[in-house]
Amino acid sequence: MGELLTLFLSTVLIDNIILSHFLGMCPFMGVSKNRSSALGMGFAVLFVIVGASIFTFGLYHLVLVNFGLEYLELITFILVIACFVQFTELFLKKFSPALYKSLGIFLPLITTNCAVLYVALDNITNNYSFVETLVNSVGVSVGFMLVLYIFSTIRERLDVSKPLKSFVGNPLALITAGLMALAFSGLAGLI
Amino acid sequence: MLNAILVTLVIGALLGLILGIASKVFEVKEDPRLAKVTEMLPGYNCGGCGFAGCSSMAAALVNQDVSTTSHCKPCKKEQRLAIVQYLNETPGPNGELCKVKD
Repeated sequence: MGELLTLFLSTVLIDNIILSHFLGMCPFMGVSKNRSSALGMGFAVLFVIVGASIFTFGLYHLVLVNFGLEYLELITFILVIACFVQFTELFLKKFSPALYKSLGIFLPLITTNCAVLYVALDNITNNYSFVETLVNSVGVSVGFMLVLYIFSTIRERLDVSKPLKSFVGNPLALITAGLMALAFSGLAGLI
Repeated sequence: MLNAILVTLVIGALLGLILGIASKVFEVKEDPRLAKVTEMLPGYNCGGCGFAGCSSMAAALVNQDVSTTSHCKPCKKEQRLAIVQYLNETPGPNGELCKVKD
């Protein structure tokens, strides 16, 4: 139990997917302009990462290992992820058109969000058990959501401030992201 | 080798089946003109029109948020005229025509 908690906390805070692995930067910059779409993106990524991790775990250990086809992991995982993203897209289009619209092109782009593939492959390379896989994938996506949400609140605040003209928009966002990464690296000694 | 091909094939087919069923279950009724106009636009998603992509531009045209196709920069003259003609002649689900000019 203690180990699982450590794994969870370290994936959320210390080994944060965005701020220390620098994965999933595209939605981090793209959908962080307001809080509600950042949260929506966070939940979409949570669903895709957890779903894809469970699915790929089963696929790898029940099918690929049995057939001796471990080398196919990359291509089959991509298939699974693409399918999950497409499914999420259909689901959101039906039940939350507003969120579907605010996420726009970044919704299908979850497919190419390297964070998703990273988690799926990471679970396999670290030889995680099923429970550990679950904890790891939830931890990574909660970390993603947390950082995305914090970043979006900062950007909303920055929108009403008056920085130097040359820093308005993305330059300031990049500087903010850098400072956030610095702040999060301070948590490195926590566990 | 044969195993690899079969396994990939089966996984692909299963996932395709799931998606096919999902697209039927979660089907959203859309204005049929939307898909048609999106298809008639160049499809570069360049954003030159000020919208997020070609489908957003098509939605704006169909919903009468913009009344001219000239926002689309990469469109050729004939393509723009074809869209204008299509929208001016095809009534929507409520029987109304779009007023669009080049």
